[in-house]
Amino acid sequence: MDTVADVMTRLEPNTRAAARGLSDLSIRNLFIIPTIAFLIVFNVFPLLYSLYTAFTDYRASTSAPANWIGLANFRDLLSDPFIWRNFTITAKYVIISVTGQVLVGFGLAMLLNRPIPLKGLITTLLLLPMMLSPAVVGLFWKLLYDPSFGIINYFLGLGKFEWLADPQVALYAVAIVDIWMWSPFVMLLSLAGLSAVPKHLYEAAEIDRAGPFYTFFRITLPLVAPILMIAIIFRTMEAFKTFDHAYILSTQPTTELIAIRLYKMAFLEWQTGMSSAFAYIVLIVVVAITNIYVKYLNKAKAR
Amino acid sequence: MAEVKTKGEVIFNRAAVIAVIVALVVMLTPIFWIAATAFKPRNLATTVPPTVFFEPTLSPFAKLFTKRSQLREPVEQEVYDNAAWWEKLIYDGGEQVVRNRKSGEVTSSGFGNRYMNSLIVSVISTLLAVSMGTITAYGFSRFRVPGEQDWLFFILSTRMLPPVVVAIPMFLMYRAVGLHDTHIGLIILYTAFNLSFAVWIMKGFIDEIPREYEEAALVDGYTRLQAFWKIVLPEALTGIAATAVFCFITAWNEYAFALMMTSKNAQTAPPYIPSQVGSGLSDWTVIASGAFLFLLPVAVFTFLLRNHLLRGMSFGAIRK
Amino acid sequence: MQRQLYRLMAGVAAIALSAPAAMSQELTIFWAEWDPANYLQELVNEYEAETGVTVTVETTPWQDFQTKAFTEFNARGSAYDMIVGDSQWLGAASEAGHYVDLTEFFNTHKLGEIMAPATVKYYAEYPGNSGKYWAVPAEGDAVGWSYRKDWFEDPAEMAAFKEKYGYDLAVPETWAQLIDIAEFFHRPDQNRYGIAIYTDNSYDGLIMGVENALFSYGGNLGDYSTYQVDGILNSDASIAGLEAYRKLYGFTPPGWSKTFFVENNQAITEGLAAMSMNYFAFFPALVNPATNPNAEVTGFFANPKGPNGDQFAALGGQGISIVSYSENQEEAFKFLEWFIKEETQKRWAELGGYTAHAATLESEEFRKATPYNEAFYQTMFMVKDFWAVPEYAELLTAANARIYPYIVGGEGTAKEVLDALTADWNETFKKYGRIQ
Repeated sequence: MDTVADVMTRLEPNTRAAARGLSDLSIRNLFIIPTIAFLIVFNVFPLLYSLYTAFTDYRASTSAPANWIGLANFRDLLSDPFIWRNFTITAKYVIISVTGQVLVGFGLAMLLNRPIPLKGLITTLLLLPMMLSPAVVGLFWKLLYDPSFGIINYFLGLGKFEWLADPQVALYAVAIVDIWMWSPFVMLLSLAGLSAVPKHLYEAAEIDRAGPFYTFFRITLPLVAPILMIAIIFRTMEAFKTFDHAYILSTQPTTELIAIRLYKMAFLEWQTGMSSAFAYIVLIVVVAITNIYVKYLNKAKAR
Repeated sequence: MAEVKTKGEVIFNRAAVIAVIVALVVMLTPIFWIAATAFKPRNLATTVPPTVFFEPTLSPFAKLFTKRSQLREPVEQEVYDNAAWWEKLIYDGGEQVVRNRKSGEVTSSGFGNRYMNSLIVSVISTLLAVSMGTITAYGFSRFRVPGEQDWLFFILSTRMLPPVVVAIPMFLMYRAVGLHDTHIGLIILYTAFNLSFAVWIMKGFIDEIPREYEEAALVDGYTRLQAFWKIVLPEALTGIAATAVFCFITAWNEYAFALMMTSKNAQTAPPYIPSQVGSGLSDWTVIASGAFLFLLPVAVFTFLLRNHLLRGMSFGAIRK
Repeated sequence: MQRQLYRLMAGVAAIALSAPAAMSQELTIFWAEWDPANYLQELVNEYEAETGVTVTVETTPWQDFQTKAFTEFNARGSAYDMIVGDSQWLGAASEAGHYVDLTEFFNTHKLGEIMAPATVKYYAEYPGNSGKYWAVPAEGDAVGWSYRKDWFEDPAEMAAFKEKYGYDLAVPETWAQLIDIAEFFHRPDQNRYGIAIYTDNSYDGLIMGVENALFSYGGNLGDYSTYQVDGILNSDASIAGLEAYRKLYGFTPPGWSKTFFVENNQAITEGLAAMSMNYFAFFPALVNPATNPNAEVTGFFANPKGPNGDQFAALGGQGISIVSYSENQEEAFKFLEWFIKEETQKRWAELGGYTAHAATLESEEFRKATPYNEAFYQTMFMVKDFWAVPEYAELLTAANARIYPYIVGGEGTAKEVLDALTADWNETFKKYGRIQ
């Protein structure tokens, strides 16, 4: 059965409703094309350029010309055990961090989704961690984690517990900072989604004497799912790109995320060609993962 | 409509309030620490054990805006007495201000300019990203677009690459067209990478707005554009507010491109703040004061929008 | 009336247009953001007072310095006329044509004689022993040590030390003594630790720290002219040096896993450690009571000797080069001529810059000017540097990857580490055609 929207877009241009103003087709084009064009111009060139250099041995620090070396960069990277380790470390980090952000963020949104005094102020305050520059966050958390100067061990009475020096704990320490910083993001989107759930649905459930779990899993979650999925998609993509605070906090081999290795390759060693190849490998991985998420999202919306 | 709350509900509400307070403490303690450090004299910033109670001072802010160097010998009493209040604070910290020998002018640290640049670039790019994003989202949401899923995915993919990789080609491209170290250059860049976010978030919100509203309006004789302006936008205000906040934060705190694409004229604040290596120690107090000042506009902006962020949407109006 | 208006407009236009021509010349020097850059700004303000040429020292944080500089070079940008570049960049920058050849300038002004020999060798000359010069040594620097005089001179401590180790507690003259003293003062339950060393593996911190041990034990990083690494990097002497550094790590404060000049100075100002290594450039903060509550009791010494009497320190410091894409090269040369004058160098030292000018360095005045200048003077004649080849960054990355887990994580043995690193470096050199 056609939705009303389908009908609307098929209106003849000279029917009364569409007679005044622009036609739907031109509005659609006017609204969409500038954005697409803009993004193409500013993204396609760098992408193509990187794609080209990925197949060369170009180094941006010398004036030597770039030589075509085919798949050599890709082969070197995929057979390098250090690179594989970077991937596993990043995967672990993404899972810990995004899960943490969702749990904390959504949890906070559920807590705040009721009439409480000063809700606006509290919400703004809870958003503060996300507003700080990641580099500053990295610097200060390094201080906070320090066993001698930091307040974490001091206030929690943890003595000389080593957060960043212990190779095993360091990754969790970095993930905790990420969770702290970005849960507000998930919280805000979840709050917006939660407050859009029609009240009458809750009232109807109450009349039917539905328990809190039923209400949550059958009403709340499905309706918030689309926005929550979007939040998860973006946070996952960003988690893969994590660099600023992680680099400042720890340069242990056990916390070398992909973006850190990429930075070192591109700007410390100036292996421009190899780093472009690396970036494309990462891009393919992220595209694959995001594809899965987006399919989930569309399913959630269809429900 | 008075409701009688069950005992369970009352307890649950109380527990929720306590949980909120705990959350506030956990989330805000690091921020309090940064704010506190911004008002500490330098020697109290990294003490063992940490200093929690202290007498606040404005010296970090005085240091934030000036170029300084170590005092090689104690300053003469007369010079000290005649100095301005903020210069006295700097002398107390064992440093002196760098002055231009000819004009006697205090050499600025450049923080003020960078702050202004950040404001200009972030505000304009946010406006652009949010407006373009909203109308594009509407387009995708309401109209049939050939290859819609692919276009949306393409828009999303523009945010998948780490800036590191894109930095060099962008740098070369900008130099070639003369956009290097310009405000416009940064604005374009920030708009570009905030757009994908804006489109997706706004589409998420606009999808939730029932089309019946617009149809009712169209039947009443409004044009599509008027329906968009008068019906859809007000309903989508929550989404717009959230998007604006996130886009602003992203542009405001952006570091990598700000570093690469600018040098003298359009340099923004983020690369500057963490670098306060003064006199052989990281001057944590100056970093904190810079971070504090830098945090203010975002916090204020968000606070002003708080009601829009929490508004939510009202369904059911059409059924009545 | 109209004619008057036109005349007025023409006058204004003439003034507006002629203003740029009357504007003074401008030079931009690029450096990292730290105190010496501020001192340089003070110094060049005097150049402006003398000649009317405005010189601006533009800075960027240390961690971004290399990135920004080379990105600008590769874009052939003219934003910077001169740059105070790291000594390691000499190879990369000169081979890529980013630096102006200063050989003639050098020889005309006999800089090889008036600057300290080590600085000429490491800050200016590339390739090694080629007689080609690319920079004027500007800021000399090396790694030195600071220590808590009060802890060392406490009679109770001295007695306990003599009893345990059999010799007097004093400023260490050998690495063996350094290790003993670090062990002696390492008291975690009292929040006191033996020593603070560099462990930051994000760039060159850790390696610079290790160099102090390696070089003084008689080891080396390889032959800089033949690129041979086997038998030199993994010689017994080098291995012993690396092991000594690992021992020192055991006496550092907790959480000492990513430390560089900031943390190492904090170790002294916050009373954490008995001794701390750092570049001399960061010592002014330690003698300033406003920044170091322990300033009165902080002393300094040069890197101690190794078991065979070798004594070397890791080199830091930078030289000023002229960027080949600058549009003001003539003006830049004039500036350099002013910079190398003896009075300017003296003034540079007075303001806090670490002059490389030999005569100034040797003067009584300089050596007594601060508590650490004497140690600095001694050290500047026994410095050694890392590889200055264009691929130095890859060598550093490999070194960090191998050495860090050993020093901080205790993984593997010194021999395994250096053997593996030798293989890595050989591969890198083969890749760039330095060896077969």
